[in-house]
Amino acid sequence: MARKVGIVGAAVTPFKGKWYEKTYYELAQMATRDALKDAAISIKDVDAVAYGIYNDIFERTCIPEHPLQAIIGMQNKPGIRITNGGATGAYTMSAAHAYVAAERYDVVLVLGVEKATDCFDFTSMSATPEVIKVIGWSGDSFFEQKIGWTASDSYAEVVLAYMDEHPGDLKPEVTAQVSSQLSEQVKTNPYAQRQFDQVTPEEVMNSRYIVYPFKELEICVYTEGAAALILAEEETAKAMARNSGKPVVWIAGVGEANEVSFAGKNHNNWGRIMSHHVAAQRAYHMAGIKNPLEEIEVVEIHDAFIQQLEISMAEMGFVPLGRADALVEEGLMMPGGKLSVNPSGGLVYCGHAVGASNIMSAWSCRNEMIDKGYRRGLVHGTGSTICQYGVVLILEQA
Amino acid sequence: MVTPQDKEKVIPFEFIPDKASETTNIDGKDYLLMNDAFYTFYQRSLGELSPFFLAIRDEKRILGCRCTVCGLVRVPPFVTHCPFCDFAPTEPVEVGQEGNMLSTPPITYFANSLFAARAPFGRGRVILEGADTALSTMLYTTTGILVPGIIKRGTEVKVIFRDERIGEITDIFCVPTAELTPQQIAEKGLQESELSWIAPAEPEFPEASAEDIAIYQRSLKEMQSLASEMSKSKRARKAIEGWKRDIAVKTRGGEFAMYIDDGDFRIEERKLESPDFVMACADPRTLLDGLSYKGAITDAVIMKRLWISKNMEFNTIFKLDRLARFLAREKKEQAAG
Ligand SMILES: [Zn+2]
Repeated sequence: MARKVGIVGAAVTPFKGKWYEKTYYELAQMATRDALKDAAISIKDVDAVAYGIYNDIFERTCIPEHPLQAIIGMQNKPGIRITNGGATGAYTMSAAHAYVAAERYDVVLVLGVEKATDCFDFTSMSATPEVIKVIGWSGDSFFEQKIGWTASDSYAEVVLAYMDEHPGDLKPEVTAQVSSQLSEQVKTNPYAQRQFDQVTPEEVMNSRYIVYPFKELEICVYTEGAAALILAEEETAKAMARNSGKPVVWIAGVGEANEVSFAGKNHNNWGRIMSHHVAAQRAYHMAGIKNPLEEIEVVEIHDAFIQQLEISMAEMGFVPLGRADALVEEGLMMPGGKLSVNPSGGLVYCGHAVGASNIMSAWSCRNEMIDKGYRRGLVHGTGSTICQYGVVLILEQA
Repeated sequence: MVTPQDKEKVIPFEFIPDKASETTNIDGKDYLLMNDAFYTFYQRSLGELSPFFLAIRDEKRILGCRCTVCGLVRVPPFVTHCPFCDFAPTEPVEVGQEGNMLSTPPITYFANSLFAARAPFGRGRVILEGADTALSTMLYTTTGILVPGIIKRGTEVKVIFRDERIGEITDIFCVPTAELTPQQIAEKGLQESELSWIAPAEPEFPEASAEDIAIYQRSLKEMQSLASEMSKSKRARKAIEGWKRDIAVKTRGGEFAMYIDDGDFRIEERKLESPDFVMACADPRTLLDGLSYKGAITDAVIMKRLWISKNMEFNTIFKLDRLARFLAREKKEQAAG
């Protein structure tokens, strides 16, 4: 029987377009220090660490976690690095959860960090084209990289395939409202890259196409930052919570699935994001959730793109496939609606510091649950080409 | 010593920065920024994929693999043994050069640094005749800029071979068969030089009416005043930091020049002798709207309301859109206090 695992501390650094003042060493240490402070424990109380760092090229070194072992004071303790594309942070939490649940360690630090925008394109004198290029090295190296694969165009493939099946869904007016709503929600997140970047639906509609059908204000922004969680087994967690005064938020369910990246007969389920569906079903099964819309109050979803956010919400069972626009049209995620979706502002407004992003989402979900008294929350991560990877965690308060 | 040469390099010379560093000051403290690169060269083995790429390079044929048990034909042939059939062996099989789009393909307008010159382009998945899985391919139209609607789910396309092939996936791309003649469709191994590409020519405008000239003069004035606001806005200046372009803008009512110079943005009524590129739009209000952040200039190019002489100047168009957005944001913030 697996042990219960709870979150006893969490922290993020500010997410910024570029950190001139800090390297990823210091960002990682900042998040660690603050998470320990939040849990009111010492690094000496931590048994192991799981690092979430997506891309070696961003950090410009191939074992980016190795210096961190000294920087965060984990001499002669176990450290494992997870890299799973955009879902790196979510998979890192999943691995740390497994370590604790399996009685290998009692207290594990989850530490995600990314310094994405040091990449720089000297022809356009801007970072973004180079950041996109670096992520472009994640496409299939024999068949897709050289024909211009990007994260955006691969997610656009999935979204357009969905739109082929459901031409009436993902209406531009609705995706614009989702984006605008997230930009309102980010106001209360002082760590967000775009805390004061509120946009109207009209502004979203008027923003330029980057990759059809995605407009500039429907896309996550690349950012730099770190995020950390402290996970502990049940008795340790309860003791720590008594000491810190912060209730334990339990990880009641974890599910993950990786689709295949080739499409066609018997390959992939084109027009669906099955990995998100399967991951959610596994997590719901573990947490005993039958009806997510009735049993979950807050969702921190990996919104690489607004259209994908909508499809993923459908795949996770909050709205029917083909009716994802109900999120807005029936007010589900709008003020006064049944669900709080991305109170952090999500990756579109808080920012996408890849290895840290899903951990930031868990930080926000846990804070919202404690502050607002929500009983259940959901944290979602996705990554790789065509949303290939899906991870869902269910958080729960007693 | 590295010098630019005629032969194309695996890293284009213009991407390589000088060995140098700079400092940036934040809150009174200096921080260092170092020009750097993270590069590795390869002589990469194509191993079991070699027959696929060799067939493209040398014979202009497309190969797949057929499972000897379930009969599934995978294109490209990415496995030697079928994972669905306990790894039964597969055998090579040639497939057709026409096929249908599995889904509507995305179109990339803002590409990564390596692809900026090729945007806009489509990339999508085609099920070739005789294949069960989809080949990811670049998509072009011979009719000019690829806009949404030209290629959709089910659209029939044909594989076109580049004239110069080295055994890479870029040796092929697809165009809609609707743009080809019956002879071209029938030809196996059709090459890019056999297609008739329509090079979009600079639009010619009819003689300007008095009203056209009045619109031009009004719009020019408004754009000039926006440009001066932009040059004064710290935020807007960021959008064109480090960028320099002299652009000739032709409209029905008259011609003017736009100068982008490392944060400075100016508009003057004059004809440029040797601009970096030319923009042409019948109605100058198309551009005025863009600069006023009422609709993206990018979209005007995509929707053919604005013509640009060099596709790779999409980059500059993006910067102009950003300039407009940054100024609009600053005004909005000021209005909100
Ligand atoms: Zn088989």
